[in-house]
Amino acid sequence: MNSHTRLPAPMGLLIDRERPLHFQFDGQACQGFAGDSIASALLGSGRWLLSRSFKYHRPRGPLSMAGQDANTLVQLPDEPNVLADLEAARDGLVVEGQNFNGSLAHDRDAYLGKFSRFMPVGFYYRSFYKPKGMWKVWEPLIRKKAGLGVLDLGFRPQYYDKAYLFVDLAVIGAGPAGLRAALDAANAGAKVLLIEQQPVLGGSLTYARFDIAGTRATGLRQELLAAVEGHPNIQVLLEATCNGWFTDNYLPVIQHKRLYKVRASRCLVAAGAFDQPVVFRNNDLPGVMLTSAAQRLMKLYAVKPGQRAVILTGHDDGYLAALDLQEQGVAVAAVVDMRAAPADAAMAAELKRRDIPVHLGSTVYEALHEAGMRHVSGVDIRPITGQGKVGPHGLRLACDLLCMSAGYMPVYQLLCQAGGKLAYDVNRDEFAISNLPAGLDIAGSVNGRHALGNVLADATRGAADALAALGLEAPVQPVFSAEAKVNFPWPIFPHPKGKDFVDFDEDLQVRDIVNATRSGYRDVQLVKRFSTVGMGPSQGRHSALPTARLVAHATGRSISETGVTTARPPFQAEKLAHVAGRAFDPYRQTPMHRRHLEAGAKMMPAGLWQRPAYYGKPEERERCMQEEARHVREKVGLIDVSTLGGLDVRGPDAAELLERLYTFGFAKLAIGRTRYALMTNEHGVVIDDGVCARLGEQHFYVTATTSGVDRIYQQMLKWNAQWRLDVDVTNVTAALAAVNLAGPLSRQVLAKVCDDVDLSAEAFRYLGVRQGNVAGIAARILRVGFVGELGYEVHVPARHAERLWDALMQAGAGLGIRPFGVETQRLLRLEKGHVIISQDTDGMTHPAEIDMQWAMGRKKPFFVGKRSIEILEAQPLKRKLVGFTLPKGSPQPLEGHLVLDGADISGNVTSCEYSQTLGQIIGLAYAGAHQAKPGMHIPIRVEGGKIVQAQVVKLPFYDPENIRQEV
Amino acid sequence: MTSLLKADSFEERSPQAVLAQPCTLTDLTAVARVGFRGADSAAWLQTHGYRLPAQPNKAERQDDGAWVARLSHTEYLLLGALADHGAPVAALEAQWMLDDNARNYLLPRQDSHAWLQLAGDQASAVMAKLCGVDLREGAFAMGSVAQTSAARTNVIVVNTGRALQLLFDRPSLDYFLGAVSDAMVEFEE
Repeated sequence: MNSHTRLPAPMGLLIDRERPLHFQFDGQACQGFAGDSIASALLGSGRWLLSRSFKYHRPRGPLSMAGQDANTLVQLPDEPNVLADLEAARDGLVVEGQNFNGSLAHDRDAYLGKFSRFMPVGFYYRSFYKPKGMWKVWEPLIRKKAGLGVLDLGFRPQYYDKAYLFVDLAVIGAGPAGLRAALDAANAGAKVLLIEQQPVLGGSLTYARFDIAGTRATGLRQELLAAVEGHPNIQVLLEATCNGWFTDNYLPVIQHKRLYKVRASRCLVAAGAFDQPVVFRNNDLPGVMLTSAAQRLMKLYAVKPGQRAVILTGHDDGYLAALDLQEQGVAVAAVVDMRAAPADAAMAAELKRRDIPVHLGSTVYEALHEAGMRHVSGVDIRPITGQGKVGPHGLRLACDLLCMSAGYMPVYQLLCQAGGKLAYDVNRDEFAISNLPAGLDIAGSVNGRHALGNVLADATRGAADALAALGLEAPVQPVFSAEAKVNFPWPIFPHPKGKDFVDFDEDLQVRDIVNATRSGYRDVQLVKRFSTVGMGPSQGRHSALPTARLVAHATGRSISETGVTTARPPFQAEKLAHVAGRAFDPYRQTPMHRRHLEAGAKMMPAGLWQRPAYYGKPEERERCMQEEARHVREKVGLIDVSTLGGLDVRGPDAAELLERLYTFGFAKLAIGRTRYALMTNEHGVVIDDGVCARLGEQHFYVTATTSGVDRIYQQMLKWNAQWRLDVDVTNVTAALAAVNLAGPLSRQVLAKVCDDVDLSAEAFRYLGVRQGNVAGIAARILRVGFVGELGYEVHVPARHAERLWDALMQAGAGLGIRPFGVETQRLLRLEKGHVIISQDTDGMTHPAEIDMQWAMGRKKPFFVGKRSIEILEAQPLKRKLVGFTLPKGSPQPLEGHLVLDGADISGNVTSCEYSQTLGQIIGLAYAGAHQAKPGMHIPIRVEGGKIVQAQVVKLPFYDPENIRQEV
Repeated sequence: MTSLLKADSFEERSPQAVLAQPCTLTDLTAVARVGFRGADSAAWLQTHGYRLPAQPNKAERQDDGAWVARLSHTEYLLLGALADHGAPVAALEAQWMLDDNARNYLLPRQDSHAWLQLAGDQASAVMAKLCGVDLREGAFAMGSVAQTSAARTNVIVVNTGRALQLLFDRPSLDYFLGAVSDAMVEFEE
């Protein structure tokens, strides 16, 4: 192909004739130009058959050439259901047809159309469930036929993202109304976002004709573009679709691989109107298209849509299109005007001057075709004798292009999403939109203004209203002129043989809609659900108006009463990738993160945190953990516990707040001492624990679980406000880095870097807290023993974390210090019988179930959950957290494995590990209260359904006298 | 643009140099900053010579180039000047002592919050990919403060005129740096 097969310039606004491209369609080599859509390139190559219809597998060519119909759905290698009239043709692209059995050209399922009489709407519902059991027979057959296109299951995710855009005025649609309104608003100082679905600005100015001379559109477009392009107050988004309207003008706009979340103070929809088809037999043949589609083909892509055309119209625009076609070398066999006369007599005179025959008061009753229905070959023109009725005889004309336009339907979808109401204007035979929310307005043909002068005036009016609302100076309100009606009242001509399509997507004919009402589905919403009208990809763009007319007529109501079906977002099919956007998956690293990586840590997630599980290779997990554990038991280990929640509670009422929040008493806690802190909620359920250290009379440092600290912080703020206490609560989790130096040699290590705190057992006893300097860093030192050994938690400002880590590792080098990870710590604490809140507890656990009655301040008048705990404790205990052991080599239970009580489930395993220290498997599990006595055996169902009998033992497993940690 | 992500690169450039770049990101985590909260904090700061914003979510530039952002009726965030690495702010932090008779509590912002500076004429466009607050100059003028969420992370944004100062959870620095850098890619020259 070369450029000579296309129409000469200025036709072909979008294509670059200097940049040819090659691609494949349906196994055949095709050519086009940069700027071509797949469809335009195929039509430019004379290929009209693009798809097969959904139900009857009828051959289909383009209808709208604007991505507003399902006729151009094609398959790309990695994506089905791509609109060929929107998707750009690219070099090397492989395009296939879809929804055929055999080949696109020879679809064996095309015979289905001959049985359409036996497949009325709703036959699915009636046919496949009887007799009983038949669904099992039908289901695989239906599933095989169902669906369009093929998913690429090997698809690799691509980069999609989102961005906010903040503007004063969002103008949706960059046709003459949108351009004019954007300019007026921007000139007055508003920041304007102009959103256009097509790759160029101009809308109908790029393809439609507005005057007999054919010069007005081009001139006006050039004038408007010159002012818009480069305007400092106008941001233009091309190839962008506003896919919904949400409250306060929150607009999702999709452009390429980005979803813009537009926040606009005002929104002006200038989205235009959809050209409407005429309903007659075979109105879906390739070669039958909307008049605007033929104009788009010529002016945007320089594709000559046919050699001999017939134009079926309900308004004067059809006359202007005839002039376009003739000027591009298409013989216009006839203009068939459904009206008695054109609105503008000059149109008829011009056609007469150009020897274009006009048939007034007539319609195409049937589009004719050759064998195989590959293309329209002629038309049967009949005089209109009444509403939807034609005379018995007419005129047959040969043609290879039939352009049709019954009128226009406003692009109502976004507006109805916003609560707009459609009312049918019986004088103009078109829907008008009203009841729009404040801040949302319409202008141009979507507002029923079709004459170009009125379109521009309406845009100025819309901009003026927006500017006034924005507090900017508005231009003078314009004056409108009278304009002709553009919609033919009843462009529906049923044929006894059918195939008079109302909905092209779903292959729905006139009788399908009428029969739905006769089946009792009188409401248009029910007609939709029963017949599926409007459910296809075009979402009623071309079927809503004729359906409303047909249902209104069939049910004896007005079209306004009938209305159209509910419009919901999205306006156009959108990908889940657009909705998902760029995924944000926050993670947190402790300030010693680099040290862990340097030491070869295997990192693991702990909520958002990245923590070292253990140090070593993943395949040596067990060995690493056991070695680390033994090291802590025998020498000294260092673990990063910076993720531990930390809260500074300060102020005159600090002790009172803690007294009320935690189960234990803290009012009398001495400065320099810590105490275990258990928190329950109002229901008496255990929700968190930690250690409360008193640093001053009015200063407590409270630790909380890694996963629970944010919630505990919120709880403290809430109760502090509710109780009107004088307390400042600061979440210092991120601010304080912390390590736990644990093991019998830990005191010796710490002593090397801490010389201002007396670390002796007598001076700094178990559960003490001191403030001093460690390696020259101001530190809070807590003598706590989560792992059951002599140990010190050292908390320092995060900025000094690596220095602390290095100092302790260096100080312990001669004593064999080594780091240990979270999994090792969990093993060690399990040996010590310490519970982890939220691992060994659940949403029902109360203190008695986990033997925490010792942590209750019984004499306190109140703490959150006290009353509930008392009620719970008055009830018989139903379950209990018990320690259990199994001999080495037994099948090891996993967390979540069930504890059985006969045939019933009495609990589940919450923690379980093999303990090298103890030489057996140890674990914690909930069991029935009657199973909880030490020495009893509890059956645990492990992997494969096998039952192991674990022995209940008294906790802790290790060092029950607490000698090691309190040394 | 990630080549500019150096903790030691916070030397003040000329405004023209910064604005000439579509977008630059600088890690200022090493520069001093601190917070104070409490009914007596305002008076305490004023006695130390700081001018305070008249209302919450506003920030005031100090004579030495430091900024004070008011985060609530009783909470203030002090951002050290780049020229002196925030030495006076660091000194103020060191000077503070908990006083049981005063409601003036130190908030260790240098340790709790990382600090990134996003400068250049596309800074607000970059943030629009991460954050739902309108940070364009017209809507978020110099001296404005937003306490919001960006890339699913809590962020304090302060417009200091030539740049947006972003303060957020210090352990999230690696994550957030990646998110901002990713958002900047399309604006790279």
